[in-house]
Amino acid sequence: MAPPMIDPALFDQLKTKIEEDTSVRKELDQIIDELNQHVAYTQGVLSRIHSTPRSKYPVLLGQVEEGIKKEVATVGKLSEFASKYPYYKYNYKWTRMIQDAISTVLLCAWLGGMGSESQPGEVCRLLTLDDIGALFSVPINLKDRDAFHITVEEYLLGLINIIDELSRLAMNSVTLGDNELAVQISSFIKDLHAGFQVLNLKNDILRKRVDSIKYAVKKVEDVVYDLSLRNLIPAKAASE
Amino acid sequence: MSGFKRDRQGNAKKFDGPKPAPKPKSIVRNACTPLFEHLRDELDEHHDRRDRIGKASRDITALSKKIIFSLQRVRKIDDELPQEIQADIDLRLAEIAKLLASIAPEVQNINRLRYARSLVCLEELVEALTFAHYVKTQTLIDHDELSRIVEDLARQGAASEDVAMPDASEDAAQKPSQAAELPTVSITDDDYLYGVFDLTGEMMRFATTASALTGKMASGDSAAADDAPRTIVEDMHDLGSFFEMLPLRSGNRVAWEKKLEVMRQSVHKVEKLGYDRVVRGSERPAGWVPDLSSTDQPEGLE
Repeated sequence: MAPPMIDPALFDQLKTKIEEDTSVRKELDQIIDELNQHVAYTQGVLSRIHSTPRSKYPVLLGQVEEGIKKEVATVGKLSEFASKYPYYKYNYKWTRMIQDAISTVLLCAWLGGMGSESQPGEVCRLLTLDDIGALFSVPINLKDRDAFHITVEEYLLGLINIIDELSRLAMNSVTLGDNELAVQISSFIKDLHAGFQVLNLKNDILRKRVDSIKYAVKKVEDVVYDLSLRNLIPAKAASE
Repeated sequence: MSGFKRDRQGNAKKFDGPKPAPKPKSIVRNACTPLFEHLRDELDEHHDRRDRIGKASRDITALSKKIIFSLQRVRKIDDELPQEIQADIDLRLAEIAKLLASIAPEVQNINRLRYARSLVCLEELVEALTFAHYVKTQTLIDHDELSRIVEDLARQGAASEDVAMPDASEDAAQKPSQAAELPTVSITDDDYLYGVFDLTGEMMRFATTASALTGKMASGDSAAADDAPRTIVEDMHDLGSFFEMLPLRSGNRVAWEKKLEVMRQSVHKVEKLGYDRVVRGSERPAGWVPDLSSTDQPEGLE
């Protein structure tokens, strides 16, 4: 008797694997959904910076930090679960959400939040990828082992996200009478723009997003131009 | 600190901002620059590796396709492939082995799936290897056995590389060549499943040419003692049901369903062939050859 075309054991083996895969995805979806809720809330609170004068930032950022705490907790949960499986198999499911979570932390810190005893928060503080990893207490840029981590791309894309938000804030801060902040934002965005020029980009999503930074640069430069034209740039900021 | 900057009046400038005031036009250095330089190196490493894998992958794809074309010149299912075809395949496999060995150190652990998209060649390789296995044994090779073959290929490639050019090995990682410890390329479930999907297309082509040129449905050796050897029509039906019964993959539904549809068409085509053979084939005298081969078989043969 010739062997059959397909070994029945092969079918069972593959079927089991596909079923496992499906249940992993379901569980991941739940965690990512939870993260989504926390990120959306935090982003919502952060959107109030556009109508909040700088003197009231501490209260607002306190609320943002509450949201970030929840994000951190959920990322921890995600990290624990996802580390059981090959990272790049499911990474695409959460990468957007992680980028958004990183953005909220970066923006909060830049505005003067996320301070600690050793390092008090201050405006214009840019958290590095290492800071972000430490904050979420997950590894970064892992190469030697296969576990959950935050990638270089996720950090950079998260950073680009806040540029748009800050360029909007430059305008709104002027409306609120805080011209100094607009100048600070302008210099920060220009620094970042120069920084992104240092990268050798390939034709991918990062390249596309980096290309969009120039519009933010233009927007803040216009604001600073309007201010300087009318001699509205505060002396302290001008000396920078 | 060699000195300080002065303003127009000649007074020393206070330098506390994140960047120097007079910006040089070319490379602007600022507080962010070191951070970005570090990240650039990380990204470059990633892009370079992806390019290297991509190049090898394209070559492996081309070689696999050539193997498939060679196999399509086979006319019957038999343990022994015709000599010149076997020689041809061996040659190509040796090349593939070298390419696999060259990228093996790059696709270990976490990097295996990171570069999965650059490694589409493996799907093609699975297609070629499963097809070769089918043409020889009339069975579908299973995932584990196939993985072993590919791993052996990668090891062979590394070994031959060492012999051929002992000091020209590109990767330092290859130097400690402890035979069994050599890095290999693994075959994922997706590589296997999508490769087998493509196998159905090749089987359809094989069935069509074989039945057109030999006037018989491709089937196993009649020496297998069964009164009627299993034909490729049954095998296609088996494969078809195999895929239909598998649960839907939640990962990439669109790709999966597209492959499923193509496979169904192949099954239908072979089905039609089987029907033709049964209904019309019996009316044809033995040795009658259909139009397709009329160029190399003169009419008068009848």
